[in-house]
Amino acid sequence: MSEMHHEKPESQEDAPLFGLLAEYNTPGELLLASQKVRDAGFTRWDTFTPFPVHGMDRAMGIKMTRLPWLVLGAAFTGLILATWFQWWTNAVDYPWIVSGKPFWSLPANIPIMFEVTVLFAGITAMVGMLVMNGLPQPAHPLDLKRRFARATDDKFFLLVEARDPRFDEVSTRSLLEKSHPAALEDVPEDRTTSAQIPTGLIYGLIVLTAVAVVPFALFAKARTTKSQNTRIHAIADMDSQPKFKTQRENLIFADGRSMREPVAGTVAQGQLRDDDALYLGKVNGAWARTFPSQVTPTAELMDRGEQRFGIYCAPCHGQSGEGDGMVHLRASKLGQGWVPPSNIHQQYIREQPVGQLFNTITHGIRSMPGYGPQISAEDRWAIILYLRALEKSRAANLGELTAEQRQNLK
Amino acid sequence: MADSNSRNKKSKSQYPTKGSGHGTSSWGDVIRNSSDTHRLFVFAGGIGGVALLLSIALGMGDFKRFQYSYLVAFMWALSISLGGLWWVTLQHLVNAKWSIVVRRVGELIAANLGLLAILSLPIVVPAVLGNSDLYMWVDSHRMQENHVLHHKSAYLNVPFFAIRVVLYFGFWFLLSQHLLKSSLKQDGEKADTQTVRLRRLAGPAMMGVAVTLTFAAIDFMMSLNPIWFSTIFGVYYLAGCVLAIHAFLALSLLWLQKRGALVKTVSQEHFHDIGKMMFAFTIFWAYIAFSQFMLIWYANIPEETHWYLLRAENGWLKVTWFQLIGHFILPFAFLLSRHMKRSRTALALGALWVLFVHYVDMYWLVMPTAFVEGPELHILDLTCWVGLTGIFVAAVAYRARGVNLVAVGDPRLETSLAFENV
Amino acid sequence: MATLWSDTNPYLGAPKGDTDFARITDNVARVAEAAKPPIGWYIAFGLALTMLTGFGASLAWVSWTGIGAWGNMHPVAWGFPIVNFVFWVGIGHAGTLISAILFLLRQTWRTAINRFAEAMTIFAVICAGVFPGVHIGRPWMPYYMFPIPNQMNMWPQFRSPLEWDIFAVGTYFTISLLFWFMGMIPDFATLRDRATTTPRRLIYGIVAMGWRGSSRQWHRYERAYLLLAALATPLVLSVHSVVSFDFATSQAPGWHTTIFPPYFVAGAIFGGFAMVVTLAVPARQFFGLKRLIEIRHLELMNKVILATGMMVGYAYGMEFFIAWYSGNPYEVFVFVNRAFGPYAWAYWTMIACNVVIPQLHWFHKVRTNVWCTLAIGVVINVGMWFERFVIICTSMSRDFMPANWGYFVPSTIDYLTLGGSFGLFFTLFLLFCRFLPMVAIAEVKGAHRDAHAGHGGHHHSHAPETA
Repeated sequence: MSEMHHEKPESQEDAPLFGLLAEYNTPGELLLASQKVRDAGFTRWDTFTPFPVHGMDRAMGIKMTRLPWLVLGAAFTGLILATWFQWWTNAVDYPWIVSGKPFWSLPANIPIMFEVTVLFAGITAMVGMLVMNGLPQPAHPLDLKRRFARATDDKFFLLVEARDPRFDEVSTRSLLEKSHPAALEDVPEDRTTSAQIPTGLIYGLIVLTAVAVVPFALFAKARTTKSQNTRIHAIADMDSQPKFKTQRENLIFADGRSMREPVAGTVAQGQLRDDDALYLGKVNGAWARTFPSQVTPTAELMDRGEQRFGIYCAPCHGQSGEGDGMVHLRASKLGQGWVPPSNIHQQYIREQPVGQLFNTITHGIRSMPGYGPQISAEDRWAIILYLRALEKSRAANLGELTAEQRQNLK
Repeated sequence: MADSNSRNKKSKSQYPTKGSGHGTSSWGDVIRNSSDTHRLFVFAGGIGGVALLLSIALGMGDFKRFQYSYLVAFMWALSISLGGLWWVTLQHLVNAKWSIVVRRVGELIAANLGLLAILSLPIVVPAVLGNSDLYMWVDSHRMQENHVLHHKSAYLNVPFFAIRVVLYFGFWFLLSQHLLKSSLKQDGEKADTQTVRLRRLAGPAMMGVAVTLTFAAIDFMMSLNPIWFSTIFGVYYLAGCVLAIHAFLALSLLWLQKRGALVKTVSQEHFHDIGKMMFAFTIFWAYIAFSQFMLIWYANIPEETHWYLLRAENGWLKVTWFQLIGHFILPFAFLLSRHMKRSRTALALGALWVLFVHYVDMYWLVMPTAFVEGPELHILDLTCWVGLTGIFVAAVAYRARGVNLVAVGDPRLETSLAFENV
Repeated sequence: MATLWSDTNPYLGAPKGDTDFARITDNVARVAEAAKPPIGWYIAFGLALTMLTGFGASLAWVSWTGIGAWGNMHPVAWGFPIVNFVFWVGIGHAGTLISAILFLLRQTWRTAINRFAEAMTIFAVICAGVFPGVHIGRPWMPYYMFPIPNQMNMWPQFRSPLEWDIFAVGTYFTISLLFWFMGMIPDFATLRDRATTTPRRLIYGIVAMGWRGSSRQWHRYERAYLLLAALATPLVLSVHSVVSFDFATSQAPGWHTTIFPPYFVAGAIFGGFAMVVTLAVPARQFFGLKRLIEIRHLELMNKVILATGMMVGYAYGMEFFIAWYSGNPYEVFVFVNRAFGPYAWAYWTMIACNVVIPQLHWFHKVRTNVWCTLAIGVVINVGMWFERFVIICTSMSRDFMPANWGYFVPSTIDYLTLGGSFGLFFTLFLLFCRFLPMVAIAEVKGAHRDAHAGHGGHHHSHAPETA
């Protein structure tokens, strides 16, 4: 059945033998031939098929590739990187609260951890396969054999390289002939084609990549540099929107303002403050001397007052109320003209009616801003309760202590 | 029609075509086992029976605890057979060829659904008789407590529940029996009539399995906390069922092989495939569990989060972490390797672990309802589980005596015998 | 009409070759090698290009004028663009399922359609990716979505499902592209070795990367293919799950429900397969691929369509039941509203297209009929678009506060954008059909019965089956 074809080297003179190429019509024949070559102890040989032939790995003695381990390593790398990156960006570098979720929200980070793991693993599988296969492989001596073109069509080939230590032109040829190939040819080395990727192509790719990066680089530069020139408004009606902003002019109204007062006589929902004692600290027009009826001094209210004091008052007035808070310390250091916050233990403050204290907290006094908008009325009273306790802590008489407390002093 | 192209996958020598005696197949393998299965039946049945009686006795003293422990063990055992029912139906539906040699054992496992109907009585009967230890909705007065419960009582009430239970078990019993009996019948016929009929049946049957499984999970487990709800709950239970059947199937096959049956029939290739399914469904389970958790965590709506808060606080937090590590990370890493899936020992260990963490999953689903502070292990947990497992195994062993352990009449048998994995 | 194919169609007629393998090669390669495709291709391409131009024009208009050019309006803040996004991403999933999942399940019938389906995935994901890019109001600032340093020193908000989308869809596109390209390397080599002109040899040669079919290389190639398939499988499940998280992580009734992830994935596969058959029926006819893409392949795809359709139906049922069971009046209202409210016409279209009509595929006669396959495929695509419309637009149009209700009306630009996206898809797809190997030549050969060693020593020459 087999015919022996001895074709002369096609393009180069005196090229030494690269190997022997046997051609078969069916995968079964190739498998049998491969087993023979494998059993004969050859190592530098290969088969070429249009599709992966089932059983060829065993027939050729090909060991399992290490690629899966590489991919596993890449997967871990991706997983760790994604986890660390999400943690670092959202919990360390620029933490900000999003719908009450913790800075590092592991459940919310899982989808991206998974995706990046797969991304790294997949890219590694593909690129790893190409690299381990030696691709791209621009030239091979087999390219010069016209018959070999059918390796990607419907024929099956076996090549034994002359570089193999067991190679011998006569015995190897007869070994191959025993497998009844459809054709058996000499393959000379390729002396004409370069095995390198054409330098033109590489330069071209480098230039192309560089050119592709340029617009992005320009864009990044434009967005990060300061300029004295006016901005370019590409989308005019987005940058100058025809609407009335807070401080802008509005000629519809006589006073020309955009910001309007609420209509006279109207009260916003929840804003009807008709209890003077609770909301103004006044009883019959004078400062209240007692807490309003809605406010019962309890331990819980005291705790609340302490907490609110710590949030709103302590930065200036200090934890102890002496006026030595962080803001004061820093402002003093800056020395740019600073009126120190009051020491709340002073006599006149201790003697002030609670209603007046309430007014101070609400509207501010001298350099102190008003805290009415930030602190609810109930909380303001809690703070005052705590203030009184603070003051008491510095100004108590021995006679006001219980027996047990007197014992502790000793 | 036998698939004449099945020869192309074979790489082993030709199987002998002559059968040689009772219990031996035409390819020279032992495919029946009456002695070992009988012994297993007696052994497992004995231990199971004793444990179950012990459970009932202990339950007289602490009925609520008995109910909870029993429910956990019951849902675990049910998931194995339900998983079996799903699996066998699926093999018919997709015309799977690799699994022919192992399908009979799956059919035998699924056929336990009739027995499980009886074993459900310790849960169902007290509910029907008005005991609300397990299901608070049994108490129709308490269901009038608030508007939402009142609304649900149209579904969560004893008569409707009883009807549904009858429907579930009736359907499961009939389908599992039909699948097994048709397959056994085919052993004698050696024609493809049954195969064609079952493939046609498999579509509607699968729809029935999906719906009944979902609502059984809702009725038995989700309704423990009647306020809570989750549309994915049925799928979550299904994921557990699929894991359970594959693990139990692997162990059953390995046991049979150790006793000398199916040695030449069920190869490393088949175990590899069972291992692949266990691997895939470990991931699937984790995906479903995570979806349910993350969505409820993210939206943070109190009427949904309370169920997870229970499992994130006190002693249950440890168990929740165990679910992540034991139910996902460990089996994932273990079953990832091709080598592990192809090693009988490794696969057996993996299967045992999967069945164990599946039990923990059932425990985690059920117990926090009654034991808020954390898992309170009790001897009833053990006795109920031993009891139910013993009876379950005994029933499968009983059914396996005197039948072919391989569907010898299936026209696709040769392909399955010669099956080789990627 | 006769000139659209028959006489001048270089794709028809018996493929050349004296072995089945050679005939497979010729059948597919001649499509890419034809010097001029028949008129029909030009007409279709012209149409697609026109639609693409419309797409570009409408997107340019929106970028210039603003999102107001669309119908998006309070309370329906997500209108057509997001519906289109989810629609296109969903379509892409079938390709990965066919490539990766059916590969893992050893379904060799996939080899006839996987190349084509993978191409469809790539193009569908491209179409999908356009929409999040342009719907952000300032489409010249998409870089904020990516974790790159910027002049505001800000990082993306990783706790947002919209950010997860970027990673999911980006990863999906990358992996699908790699998988598709890797699959084509051996086929590029085939085209390179058959090339008669130097430009063709050069171009196919470069992309073939010097592939010569070495078994040692095949070994690593097959391992990489298996790994990519194993990675792509959970990936495809995750991508549409992440897309579903866009809705499910919210608190809106009708959106926030735990079954969304697997439900969306099943729906994606359902719609994707419908698109595959919609394309496969005319393509196999026109490009002469009936010998390779047989009726049995269409039938199997129709079965998958039926199965996933049932899963979608299950999800509809579960949503409905649990909405009632929950006792949450807002949840109950959403479903009543869908069926009987102002968008009822969309809801019932969806039910008819997704639940009712696909039931026809229970019948063998319907499954194996090309025209029914095509018609039902189109119907399902319409239904799946409407499903996203119903979920997104109707839920938002009537949510918690009646004072907040509104009726979304798409604008002309909305329709232009939707239709135009098909232009982008078909332009790319027709280019693929023209220049790239439409069927996985090497894989089809590998699945052929002659490929197996049992027939060693014999020389078979079976006549290929005619359609």
